[in-house]
Amino acid sequence: MKFSRIRHVRGFDVARPISIGVMLGIMLPLVLLPLLSIFVFGTSKGLGTFWSALIAPDAIFALKLSIVTSFWATVFNVFFGLFAAYVLSRYDFWGSNAVIVTISLPTAIPTAVAGFALLLLWGRYGMIGKFFSEEHQIMFTPYAIILANIFVTFPLAFGVIKPVFDTMSRSLEEASATIGATRWQTFWHVTLPSLRGAIVSGALLTFARAVGEFGSTILVSGNLAGRTQTAPLYIFAKFNEGQIEAANAIAIVLALLSFVIFSVLFFARDWLEFEAQEV
Amino acid sequence: MIAKMALAPDRDQHVSWAPDREQQTGVAASVQGISKRFNQSRVLEDISFDVAEGESLVLLGASGSGKTTILRIIAGLEQPDKGRVILHGKDVTDLPARERGVGVIFQAYALFPRMTVEKNIGYGLKIRRRPRKERRETVDRLLKLVRLEEHRKKYPWQLSGGQQQRVAIARTLAYKPQVLLFDEPFGALDAQTRVRLRREIRTLLKQVKVPSVFITHDQEEALELGDRIAVLNDGHLEQIGTPHEVYNQPATEYVATFLGAANLLLGVVARGCVEIGSARFPAVKETIRFNEGQSVKLVFRPEDVCISQDANLPEGCRRLANGVVEEVSFVGAYERLNVRLDLTHRQQAETEAPLYQVTINTPERMTGVPIMVTRPKPEANATRYQPGDRVAVGLTSFSVLPNYTLSRQR
Repeated sequence: MKFSRIRHVRGFDVARPISIGVMLGIMLPLVLLPLLSIFVFGTSKGLGTFWSALIAPDAIFALKLSIVTSFWATVFNVFFGLFAAYVLSRYDFWGSNAVIVTISLPTAIPTAVAGFALLLLWGRYGMIGKFFSEEHQIMFTPYAIILANIFVTFPLAFGVIKPVFDTMSRSLEEASATIGATRWQTFWHVTLPSLRGAIVSGALLTFARAVGEFGSTILVSGNLAGRTQTAPLYIFAKFNEGQIEAANAIAIVLALLSFVIFSVLFFARDWLEFEAQEV
Repeated sequence: MIAKMALAPDRDQHVSWAPDREQQTGVAASVQGISKRFNQSRVLEDISFDVAEGESLVLLGASGSGKTTILRIIAGLEQPDKGRVILHGKDVTDLPARERGVGVIFQAYALFPRMTVEKNIGYGLKIRRRPRKERRETVDRLLKLVRLEEHRKKYPWQLSGGQQQRVAIARTLAYKPQVLLFDEPFGALDAQTRVRLRREIRTLLKQVKVPSVFITHDQEEALELGDRIAVLNDGHLEQIGTPHEVYNQPATEYVATFLGAANLLLGVVARGCVEIGSARFPAVKETIRFNEGQSVKLVFRPEDVCISQDANLPEGCRRLANGVVEEVSFVGAYERLNVRLDLTHRQQAETEAPLYQVTINTPERMTGVPIMVTRPKPEANATRYQPGDRVAVGLTSFSVLPNYTLSRQR
């Protein structure tokens, strides 16, 4: 085919609209339409229905539980990620590469496997869980959800923070030391401000991932409405009960939340990159 | 704008930024017998020197000579295997960097990117928990000293290289450092800025009276910045002295060739002369420390050679030999001539390892020793030479160095 001839029609690059069109055409049924359908369906019976589905006590509880458990998982993983990144980029020790691989492992493990593994460890008859009395069991409580969230989002903050640590010039910390700062003062005044962007994006990524966690949560939480049911579990339960509106209302909230988080990440990129270039 | 900022001393800035001390000992910093190895390779071997109060010392050496390691050892960022570091009479060898009170100006300045100019300068006092008022006054005085008052609210990336460097200096002066250490301070700058900044820094240092140690591989920079220069080669201290001494009386061949160009002629000491092939160069005073018949090198700089077409060399110029002008080239500020001396190379003893191998293709080049001569413009204009002209060659200044066949035999 004389493809080269149709590519340029009097200075107009035909490939441009065609390639953009093909790209959007592929995205439309796979990504854009599913998202759109949530909003179309959710508001099709009027905002009143949407609103009453949203403020149902179990729905509110599920959202709150998701946000709270994700928040604590995020707090833990950001602190741990920061600490682990510091240790692993500052000290070279035997097996340090093995540690890095291990930290990154949870992303590669299916979430159902993660949940199952937690049950085997912390469950009533698990390796650790068997030492806990009946009323102090962790599984099937909100703490189990936090544990599951920590497990599946473990490498995210670390993965963002570690490269920034690695590329950070040592001379900043050395300068701070020669000026007279203690290790802690150096970390607080010099190292941490340079990591601000990485910490924020690491936290947002972790939180976004934790809020949507389903596979491990359904195994370890027990999925008890009003007690251990997170938002994704609520959607699944309501859908199974045939209450599409109830499921849809929460779906909209979760979709919006992810959208907001990723917009922040995307538009904050200038700010984040600005940090990186300065370091 | 910054080009006009010569750091002339201000009348109201007679505040010394040197540390307050009861009595001045004279020696501000002292490095004693420092040795250091990294893995199996020796980086420094038995380095000792002093820096006097208010003095600026330049550590000059090629890359890999160990100069940066010395700096880091003084700062406490590196531990020596052997030897002591003494700052104002106190042994600080075992103290961590933060307790030494040393000011380091890093190569890329290492300004804190998230802090403004004034916060960078105030950092040292902030972590020392000094009262806010004192901090503000110090920062104000320092901003004035380094002429950055109008940039106080800016971030480091908004400043030029020279301004950043001045912030880095002010940041260390704030806590009255024992000694200032400059790690290749002009490495990141273009040639013109470099020359301007080193003059500014020199003026500034004379003003603040803080002893300083510079490291550089640039000999011109070393000559201009240093009250004294220490030349390092492969972890050894080759020579330490004033720029004048190091340049005009180099103690070793390395110093002679590293600081500017130098001609080297091999000879032997014979009755108060240096015998170079067929020529006898009178040097009674210079050869007195050598044994009769000892192998030596006659070292002289291109600008210390005088040539003349008649036998009358100018006064103060000792006759060396006759020669032929081979090439005349004009290189801007001066004229450069290649002159081949009517000398035969000294025959090497059979047991002696050859110092260098020279391959000469054309047979007529087998005789004679080439040297480089430079002449200032007025002289070059007064007498012109053509290739092929025969000239008498003399020296106004030279040094005689022992000729070790192996560089390790010191």
